[in-house]
Amino acid sequence: MSWRFWQPSLHREVDDELDFHLEMRVREFMARGMPAAEARAEAERMLGDATRLRRILRRAGKERDRTMRRTEWLAELRQDLAYGFRTLARNPGFTAIALLTLAIGIGATTAIFSAVNAVILRPLAIPEVDRVMLVGELYEDRAADVSVGNFVDWRAANASRPVFSELGAINWRNFTLAGEQPERVIGAAVTAGYFAVMGVAPLRGRVFTEEEDRPGGARVVVLGHRLWQRRFGGEPTAVGQVITLNGLPHTVLGVMPPSFDFTNGTEDLWVPAAFTPEVEAQRDEHYLTVYGRLSPGSTPDVARSTLAEVQRVLNQRYPNENGSRSVHVEPMMRQFIGDARSQLLLILGAVVLVLLIACANVANLLLARGATRAREFAIRASIGAGQSRLVRQLLAESMVLALVAAGLGIAVAWAVIRTLVAAAPPGVPRLEQARLDPATLGFAVGVALVSTVLFGLAPALRSARADLQGALRTGQVRASGGRHDWLRQGLVSAEVALALVLLVGATLLVRTAIHLQRVDPGFEPRGLVTARIALPAESYASPEAVRRAFETVLEHLTASPGVKSAALSSQVPMGPGGGFNGLIPEGKPVAPESQVNARMRLVSPGYAETIGLRLKRGRQLSTADRTGGPRAMVVNEALARDLFPGQDALGKRVVCCEGAPDDLRWKTIVGVVGDVRSRGPDQAPQPEFFLPISQAPDEAWNWIARTMSLIALADQDPLVLGPAMREALRRVDPSLPVYRIETLEASLANALAPARFRTALLGSLAGIGLLLALVGIYGVIAYLVTRRRGEIGVRMALGATSGDVLRMVIGQGLRPVLAGTALGALGALAATRLLATWLHGVSPNDPLTFGAVALSLTGVAALASLIPARRATKVSALEAMRAE
Amino acid sequence: MPGPDSDFLQGTLDVLILKTLSWGSRHGYAIARWLEDSSAETIRVEEGSLYPALYRMERKGWIEASWGMSELGRRAKFYQLTPSGRARLRAEIAAWRRLSGAVGRILEARG
Repeated sequence: MSWRFWQPSLHREVDDELDFHLEMRVREFMARGMPAAEARAEAERMLGDATRLRRILRRAGKERDRTMRRTEWLAELRQDLAYGFRTLARNPGFTAIALLTLAIGIGATTAIFSAVNAVILRPLAIPEVDRVMLVGELYEDRAADVSVGNFVDWRAANASRPVFSELGAINWRNFTLAGEQPERVIGAAVTAGYFAVMGVAPLRGRVFTEEEDRPGGARVVVLGHRLWQRRFGGEPTAVGQVITLNGLPHTVLGVMPPSFDFTNGTEDLWVPAAFTPEVEAQRDEHYLTVYGRLSPGSTPDVARSTLAEVQRVLNQRYPNENGSRSVHVEPMMRQFIGDARSQLLLILGAVVLVLLIACANVANLLLARGATRAREFAIRASIGAGQSRLVRQLLAESMVLALVAAGLGIAVAWAVIRTLVAAAPPGVPRLEQARLDPATLGFAVGVALVSTVLFGLAPALRSARADLQGALRTGQVRASGGRHDWLRQGLVSAEVALALVLLVGATLLVRTAIHLQRVDPGFEPRGLVTARIALPAESYASPEAVRRAFETVLEHLTASPGVKSAALSSQVPMGPGGGFNGLIPEGKPVAPESQVNARMRLVSPGYAETIGLRLKRGRQLSTADRTGGPRAMVVNEALARDLFPGQDALGKRVVCCEGAPDDLRWKTIVGVVGDVRSRGPDQAPQPEFFLPISQAPDEAWNWIARTMSLIALADQDPLVLGPAMREALRRVDPSLPVYRIETLEASLANALAPARFRTALLGSLAGIGLLLALVGIYGVIAYLVTRRRGEIGVRMALGATSGDVLRMVIGQGLRPVLAGTALGALGALAATRLLATWLHGVSPNDPLTFGAVALSLTGVAALASLIPARRATKVSALEAMRAE
Repeated sequence: MPGPDSDFLQGTLDVLILKTLSWGSRHGYAIARWLEDSSAETIRVEEGSLYPALYRMERKGWIEASWGMSELGRRAKFYQLTPSGRARLRAEIAAWRRLSGAVGRILEARG
């Protein structure tokens, strides 16, 4: 008999035990002849301080009881878990389907979560990054870059009324790094404050000071970690060495740590901006990216309103340059993540839909199992297992399922993350850092527990509580009444609805991809090779020198063997460079309000012919458009419409890019060409205009940073073009590199990489969702058939044909499918609106897509129900009756 | 009872109690008496330490207690060894033999 069956309170336990002890001692001493009183005294003396002892024992007893309760609880848990394992192992079919379903759902969700975590959630390696703001101009309600003049004035105003503890500007530039192989590197000119804003200490050496960030200061450079590794092999002695940038010696001051890489410019070195007074007076070119660290107590709103006030004054002082600009302040983190945020969150949404389908499947499976186990529960309840004990056992079973599923899910996630990182298009910041870290593992286990316990336990409980007596009386699996069938069918409807949403989204993206493949880019990319050349301002100062150098390179290239035709352009389709200029058409007042913005291209004669630009009106630019001759210009159709709506633009005149009020330098439109999708097939054409390099405004060479693209078409083999371009440049200036050599076909394909990735990702998620939903449909119909064996047998005995039975079973199976399809169509109408920005050539609620997806989903569902339905027709009446 | 050798003494008391219980269940008084008798009163177990030791060992799962009738018809708390207590006793005895053998060899060694 355990003492716990008759358990005295701890107080009485201690008292009784000690009283018994004393009594026995007294008895012992009296037996030896001691008088009673003396024996009592002696016994008490031996026991010592009784009050203290009682206290000690009570405390020890309390501790003992607690430990024992815990041990007992653990033993029961172990028992439940072992039982859970055994039950799962006894039903390998059920377990395999449940685990597979869950592993896919958990794995996919966890992988995407790890990507979201790496890209969006994890802060940048900047101390107090939430205090670092991107500060921009706000122009026509759009965040824009900042002019040097405005930046300098903001900085001055901030010094007297600080809302930022520091303001820094960065401007990306290309540098030619001399060496055995001259190399083109992306670098940035930054103000000394830039490093202070970021608050990151250099790994080696130091960053430059305010003194070094002044015109005429020492030529110094801070290296990025990548470049340091590549050019100096990570040698600490790099600091103090002199490197030649754009032909000028620069002393290496320091090296930044690898984590100092949080602009999307991925620059490799930093030089002082060292604004000269002339540059500081520049107010009409807005190209600086400005960051600020909020001063203590300041907030983004305070900073915005304070700077906006400063800007209002600047607008009044420089109305032409500033117009009505305001100030834009947003956390740097948000700008850094940018577009990746909405993409990832959308994918996360899709993954959650897959997870929900998986959960519905598991719920359905557990529900079915609960039904078949109703008898087991009834028996256990009747021999004294309390409701709570049954619940605990079910809970333990779900936990076992959840933990095994989490383990498998983590394995799936590991594989998915690897695939994702390898397949993702470039430009998603930090995606390569996605991995199975503690946060991700915790997430996986959490998802597993929630999805099995929430979705699994609830239905299991319902069936456990179902009609126990009925189950015992009939000895039949009857616990699942109509109510549970209803629940099961509801789950199927939900699965179908979720799968439909996924499928519609994926189909819309696939149709977009097909559309984009067929989109006419407006030029002929086949066989074209392009490359960039940049002339350093230090050695090519005058516009004539620049033009002559470029023209000579082109002459050499054109004369090279294997080159069919070649040309120069400040920007090729999908290529870097280029900017916007304001154009004023004749007939409008020459004032800023009349400006029409368009993208400028400086081109050599023959550019249009080389890339296959289609002439719509007039002529192309030619060698006839000489320096000093009548100024000619070619516009595309989009610009022609913008400049002269409803009129013929040919022969009309335009002011742009140069001149003064007394010397407007009108340019005549000599030709109109077709539009080109120069930012990629998924981007609308922009208004563009072309100027011959022979008539390029002097200032234009600075706008394009003396950098142009060579573009060449091969006679036969495009592989000869790269070496030919190198040789052509080497003959003009051997110290300069040719960089970004690529075929236009490749860059066209690259421009579509994000769209392809999205399509593939959503497509596979939709496929998984569909598969899981089909498993669910199959399961439910198989269950229905099992449950109605008797009825089917009777019907067939009474003369129903196999066809009748088939129709009945499939009809019943399709009812929740049809309901789910209707529900899913509604859901998809709402969900596809989120996709709208990524859709081209198809509307978010394209009826054809909706119809086709709904129809095929229903068709596939009918097929899935065909297998168990055919089994139903094999039921013989005799067998069915016997089963009853 | 603090002191440098309290762990040793406590450990010794635990082993003695385990040994006492190895023949069957006994109540606290019987354990104390048996220890006195069999050591010819060399070892006088402080009764103030005996009972805390019993509670502690109960918590460790070496012994378990049940209420029953004593030989004199009084309700008494009886202690008995659990399987884990029995294993513990075997381990302690082996360790004690090793230790006493080693100490004995050292003490009887001749220069």
